[in-house]
Amino acid sequence: MTEESISEQDFAKFAEYFYRKTGIKFDSSKRYFVDKRLNERMRATDSDSFRHYFTLLRFQASGEELQHLTNLLTVNETYFMREDYQFRCLVDSVLPDIVQRHDRNKPIRIWCIPSSSGEEPYSIAMYLLEEWSGINDWDVEIIASDIDTQILDNARRGIYSERSVRGVPLAWKRRYFREVREGYQVVNDIRDAVEFTRVNLSESADVRRMRDIDVIFCRNLLIYFDDLSRKLAAEYMFEALRVGGYICLGHTESMGRISSLYSVRKFPAAIVYQRPLEAK
Amino acid sequence: MALLKRKKASITKSVTKTKDCSQLRALLIADSAQDRRCAARDLIGCPHASTSLLEQLACEQETSVRQVILSSLTQIGDQPAVTGLVHCLRSEDVSLRNEAIEAMKHLPEAVAPIMANLLNDPDPDVRIFSVNILESLCHPAVETWLIDVIRDDKHVNVCATAVDLLGEVGSPAALTELNNLKQRFGDEPYIQFTADLAIRRIQGG
Repeated sequence: MTEESISEQDFAKFAEYFYRKTGIKFDSSKRYFVDKRLNERMRATDSDSFRHYFTLLRFQASGEELQHLTNLLTVNETYFMREDYQFRCLVDSVLPDIVQRHDRNKPIRIWCIPSSSGEEPYSIAMYLLEEWSGINDWDVEIIASDIDTQILDNARRGIYSERSVRGVPLAWKRRYFREVREGYQVVNDIRDAVEFTRVNLSESADVRRMRDIDVIFCRNLLIYFDDLSRKLAAEYMFEALRVGGYICLGHTESMGRISSLYSVRKFPAAIVYQRPLEAK
Repeated sequence: MALLKRKKASITKSVTKTKDCSQLRALLIADSAQDRRCAARDLIGCPHASTSLLEQLACEQETSVRQVILSSLTQIGDQPAVTGLVHCLRSEDVSLRNEAIEAMKHLPEAVAPIMANLLNDPDPDVRIFSVNILESLCHPAVETWLIDVIRDDKHVNVCATAVDLLGEVGSPAALTELNNLKQRFGDEPYIQFTADLAIRRIQGG
């Protein structure tokens, strides 16, 4: 099959639909990128026209094709200090707000899901040590979860490529990594500070074990869920959070499209979502 | 004070016990919103769960509990659940209405048999909400329902809502009725604009 041409009208129709479903916006400057992947999926699904493919995408009850396409249209590379403006928001705005009402005798709990291979929770640990003076006054517990036990094992080992650590400031790299044959390994002090545990965010019973969390980093995961699973995950996380606790989502994700349980908090460095203080 | 070592972290210990259905029903009307949310979530496997959830939904004031009740009704998706959600479409409570619309979008198989009735409801607001449900309903009859609306419905706002959606899901099968609609509402600029847009999109595809 040759490349199907996708008209401007079809592209506009697709872009509107995809934005509504995922929050990801594609304008005409992304035509090449999007058309290429749409054509790939049209071939894979034996669709003889864009209209045929769009009907499948739009009305398929399982939502499987939308998932395939979303995977193709999103970049799922993780690395240290990815989207670190949210870590800035954590230390400048979120934690200072949390400590105002937090019990001095209890640790502040930060939960990363998905942990993937560990870059995010380790980045947070380093960021807290380097950038948050409150670390001298508060205990912080970092929990990191993923559904994939193999990737959790990798995360615990904490060995990364040069590419993965490219965003780490040189001084931090010297302090928190040691060079090993395979690349860079996170030092024991940081590895010991993160508890890795298997959790399936779609399983209520799994999430129920997580309680009294102050901050959840749930970035670039919900985008891969269908609408109902996304909504349920938001409800499970609501229960896991302390009243007044926060959720940080990925930069293309918006809680407003998922659930109205949370309040939007616009801080100088980032927009995050809060379990309302008045919620019971 | 510092980052805690992982061996000291206690978060992952299990803290819940399984409750039976009668306990969950009692918890559904407990004082604590957290208890009510947990009960609403766990009642899913119990007999006549939809009825209990709908009874609580009718008097529940706490938004977070209502959301969980609606999610559970969506997951159950049986006939009493759908009937209850339809009832919510007539509520004066805007947020409850919107939540019911969102819930019904996830129930294509359960909603499809009653969609024709909803689209012919005497109340134009209910007809508009029903078109709103079609926006994300994964069902092959969506276009047919929308074409029926723009052919038969007398209310301009109902038709306008349907035409907006036809701009996305319409095929050449909708063109005749889109042109007829333009004639039927010749003095309604919004209908002219949105029908032209839908026609352009269908013909440009």
